[in-house]
Amino acid sequence: MSATVEAISAAFRDEAGAVCASLTRQLGDLDLAEDLVQDAIVVALQRWPRDGVPDRPGAWLLQTARHRGIDRLRREARYRDKLQALSAVDVEVISREPDERLRLIFTCCHPAIAREAQIALTLRAVMGMTTPEIARAFLVSETTMGQRIVRAKRKIVEAHIPYRIPAREELPERLGEVLAMLYLVYNEGFLSSGPDRATSRDLSADAIWLCELVNALLPDQQEVLALLALMKLHEARRASRFDARGSVILLQDQDRALWDHAAIAEAGALLERARRLGAPGAYWLQAAIAACHADAATYADTDWAQILALYNALIRLMPSPVVRLNRAIALRHVAGAAAALEEVEALSGDLDRYHLLHATRAELLREFGRTDEAREADQRALELTNNPAEREVLLKRIGDGGATPEGAADATAPRLAREPP
Amino acid sequence: MGQKYVLMFVRDDEAFLADEAHDHTYESINQWFMDLGQQGKIAETGSELQPARNATTVRWSAGNPMVTDGPFMESKETVAGFTTIEVNDLDEAIAIAKRWPAKDHAIEIRPIVDHEQNGS
Repeated sequence: MSATVEAISAAFRDEAGAVCASLTRQLGDLDLAEDLVQDAIVVALQRWPRDGVPDRPGAWLLQTARHRGIDRLRREARYRDKLQALSAVDVEVISREPDERLRLIFTCCHPAIAREAQIALTLRAVMGMTTPEIARAFLVSETTMGQRIVRAKRKIVEAHIPYRIPAREELPERLGEVLAMLYLVYNEGFLSSGPDRATSRDLSADAIWLCELVNALLPDQQEVLALLALMKLHEARRASRFDARGSVILLQDQDRALWDHAAIAEAGALLERARRLGAPGAYWLQAAIAACHADAATYADTDWAQILALYNALIRLMPSPVVRLNRAIALRHVAGAAAALEEVEALSGDLDRYHLLHATRAELLREFGRTDEAREADQRALELTNNPAEREVLLKRIGDGGATPEGAADATAPRLAREPP
Repeated sequence: MGQKYVLMFVRDDEAFLADEAHDHTYESINQWFMDLGQQGKIAETGSELQPARNATTVRWSAGNPMVTDGPFMESKETVAGFTTIEVNDLDEAIAIAKRWPAKDHAIEIRPIVDHEQNGS
């Protein structure tokens, strides 16, 4: 009985983190445990497509990891003391204790590890992705990705990064690391979800899955619920983002009947629950903004005053120029194009290398009939982005002399986490 | 069986020395050292360093020693002192560094090589 790629990826996702966490605890060595589970995954990738996913994929992975480990340790003298622990591993016992996988997630996302390595380690250790898969998803070479992972694992061992769940007082900061990692993974999936990449793994779905796992393991955390709501809101509108030819469709032109209204309602309920858990945090505010867009029956019905108020609160928590730029778009609908243009001009120094600054400026200039300057700004935006969907919109606008009224990109698409270079 | 880390205190010397609240900062720094000492977490006290304007650097160019004025790297911020702590893990070291009273410093935390453990 053969198995599909989807079934295999799903089995890895369900099992790899628990297997890796169990083995790490029993060996007291994340580096080794993680390597062995990867070895087992590689073996599974050869066998499962042909033989099917075993009845108990977790036990199979742990058994294989254990065999591989024993072989390997016999060859490596320095691991001799681990050999005994590994021989004693009981493959029938894969712990589902919430703490096990949480410990793994928090260690992979330790602030002493660079963000890109946090992502790679988490996807490997917790989700059971392979290094080549991760490298493809992030458009870097396998060698680079491999080195990134090796360096991070070495730092965990050599700098004595502890394998544990942070204490209560550290939790907000440490959870922030995990959520930032998750949102980047989500964005990577979302932004590359055009028709060209239809065959690659859906990282957005993986990020949502992992965020749901964190929420299950560590319930009632406002920012976890809020990020989950935020991702679900983006996801609910994903079907309407591209037309049949694969061109990007701007928010105001999207067919709102295609939106997943059940998912939007579900996200709304999450936000409501999150709101009762404390003062609104940055993810809550971003999700609330996305919810305002999702709740509007038509583009004209958008509650811009509410959105502007949410941005004002967000700026106090995240005073970044990118947030101010997004706020300027809301400002245009509430206070007019002149006020928005003034704000955008004020940001042009900080965001000179950010394509959306120039694209937004171009839109505003066109409202005042300053078409030459607008075309110049669009040209500048074009030089600064490689995203094919965004390039297409810009090229069209430059060619049309600016017929498109607004939005080089979906103004509500996730991009806060992507700071300009 | 603890792990030793060197904490390197990095600061902008000129700005620090010009700061009026200077004496007060030293008082709180002393307190920080006393607290850690009482907990038995100081492995070696270390030193505060004179400003980087008094630094001299020796490096080799094509095998020949060259002496230059100034710190090894030209930067506004330089290492202004160091101490060695002995704690359980990096998280404990980070927590200690976060309690450092002079908020205009940066603190680099570096695990030291343990030659006896036939190292890394």
